[in-house]
Amino acid sequence: MKKNHYLEKLYNSKKPFIVYKVKDGYDIYTDFSEKIFLNNSNISSFLNRIEKIKNKKQFLNLYIGFFGYEILCNLNNVKIPKQKSLNFPKSIFYKPETKVQIRKNITIKSSHKNYNKLFNKKIFNPNKILSPFKINIDINKYKNIFNRFSKKIQEGNTYQIKICTKYRNKSLIDPVNFFWKLMKTNAAPESFMIRDKNFSIVSCSPETLIERKGQKIITKPIAGTLKKTKKTNMRKAISFFKNNIKETKEHNMIVDMERNDLSKICIPGTVKLSKTKYVEEYKHLYHYVTKIEGFIKKKINIKDIIVAMMPGGSVIGCPKISTLNLLNLQEKDSRNIFTGSFGFIKFNGDMRFNIIIRSILNFKNTSEISVASGVVVDSTAIHEFKENYIKAKSLIDLYR
Amino acid sequence: MIYIIDHKDSFTHNIVHQFSKYHSNIECENYNKIDYKKLNKADVIVLSAGPGSPKDYPISSKIYNKFKRKKKIIGICLGFQQILFNENGTIIKQNKIYHGFQSAIKVTSKKSLFKKNKIFKVGRYHSLKLQEPFVAKNFEITMRCKISNVAMAIENQIDKIYGFQFHPESFLTENGNALIKKILSA
Repeated sequence: MKKNHYLEKLYNSKKPFIVYKVKDGYDIYTDFSEKIFLNNSNISSFLNRIEKIKNKKQFLNLYIGFFGYEILCNLNNVKIPKQKSLNFPKSIFYKPETKVQIRKNITIKSSHKNYNKLFNKKIFNPNKILSPFKINIDINKYKNIFNRFSKKIQEGNTYQIKICTKYRNKSLIDPVNFFWKLMKTNAAPESFMIRDKNFSIVSCSPETLIERKGQKIITKPIAGTLKKTKKTNMRKAISFFKNNIKETKEHNMIVDMERNDLSKICIPGTVKLSKTKYVEEYKHLYHYVTKIEGFIKKKINIKDIIVAMMPGGSVIGCPKISTLNLLNLQEKDSRNIFTGSFGFIKFNGDMRFNIIIRSILNFKNTSEISVASGVVVDSTAIHEFKENYIKAKSLIDLYR
Repeated sequence: MIYIIDHKDSFTHNIVHQFSKYHSNIECENYNKIDYKKLNKADVIVLSAGPGSPKDYPISSKIYNKFKRKKKIIGICLGFQQILFNENGTIIKQNKIYHGFQSAIKVTSKKSLFKKNKIFKVGRYHSLKLQEPFVAKNFEITMRCKISNVAMAIENQIDKIYGFQFHPESFLTENGNALIKKILSA
């Protein structure tokens, strides 16, 4: 990272800001003129309001933020029974007034002329680990849940279901330090960071849920994970996924489900697999990915798109609604942001959203890393339990 | 008009798009929100795939029995089982479960709209299957899994009732479009 006077000041201030990975660098958003907490009663009016903004071309014409898992379930009329919860906000969106583009060079644009002076000093907060990581579901509990869901699959109530486990510790973290450390080794395409006054999120999400420009919409579901070892390479990873019936079936199912979700909002005949079953390489693992696209029907609004696509199917299971209901009856801890979506909505309706996985939520001096892996007909509890750990590893390593 | 009953599935809109290729007027509604005015006007009723087993969807059974012989009825996966269930067939768990599985099936009957002995690849998502022997008036099992011999399609040319255990709309099914085109024009 290049040194930059403005960024140094930003990092050392108390000011909330967001970093979002883009193809050739990072975008930083700050100087928020609005911060909107969304809940079941105001989410629809918020999304409709964006649609009605007349001046679509105004400077920094977007809201950026996240939808947590619960609010997305509720949008699909799926209720969640009472759970243990940190009472973390269900969804927050920010209206930025300053944007920093980090590419080969750094450029800053702001609607404030004096953007360079809008800082207040903060007390320096080093990383502090107050207790070691603990998992909320141990292997024995995991096996029980696994067997219960395997039975549901035998009965045809679900075809694939993702069990969420959480690693938690007590800690204070400097999210800026964590994020740039993470980006050195694992600059996943949907990475982001939010630093706000009383919480932070650090994420190296690899998964794009929605990329919408004009009427075109793209989704890139990931289903299939292979651990990296000294013996693996790209060629071997491709052949592993192609020849592994379990991974292939799991992937096929997610592809048909995402085709379905796009088909709810797209013009018939336009939904296509534009890149089928390819492999992406990450720090500790390989992923099996398919790119699907379509053209959105004229009458579809922003809310329709959110409801059709979220929560992203690849992290839930299939079929989506009945599997969500099974999951919610099982899970005693709130998923909070996990398997929600982070991204932005522009005033012209263009949007980009990821699926929030591979993420740290730090709130009330607790760090929480959630992971999930799938129960399908021929998976084993031990294998999936271990896969969960591989997924959390690059984040847990940050605390060393 | 084609009326598709969505049994809370995550593949139903793929069916909507596939049928849209051959018909301009398609309505699709959730099992819980069936619009009987529209349903009455439909020429074709499609019973979609979905989780669970036919006994979990009593409304669809009622609709099947009410409109049988009056409208063309097409069942896919759970919908296929729904038809069989109402024709006194028994739906049971299978030992080997197929979810997201591509497998070869064969046209096994001369009475099929499709050419006997033709083999093609299809996408399958089912935990349950038809228990055999199965006999019902005018119904013919016309396709079977090439390996396990499990029933994969039924056709009733007289009453215009058709069902597939596999998913013609899946990207894993090689000639799903041709299949649907033929059934709709039959």
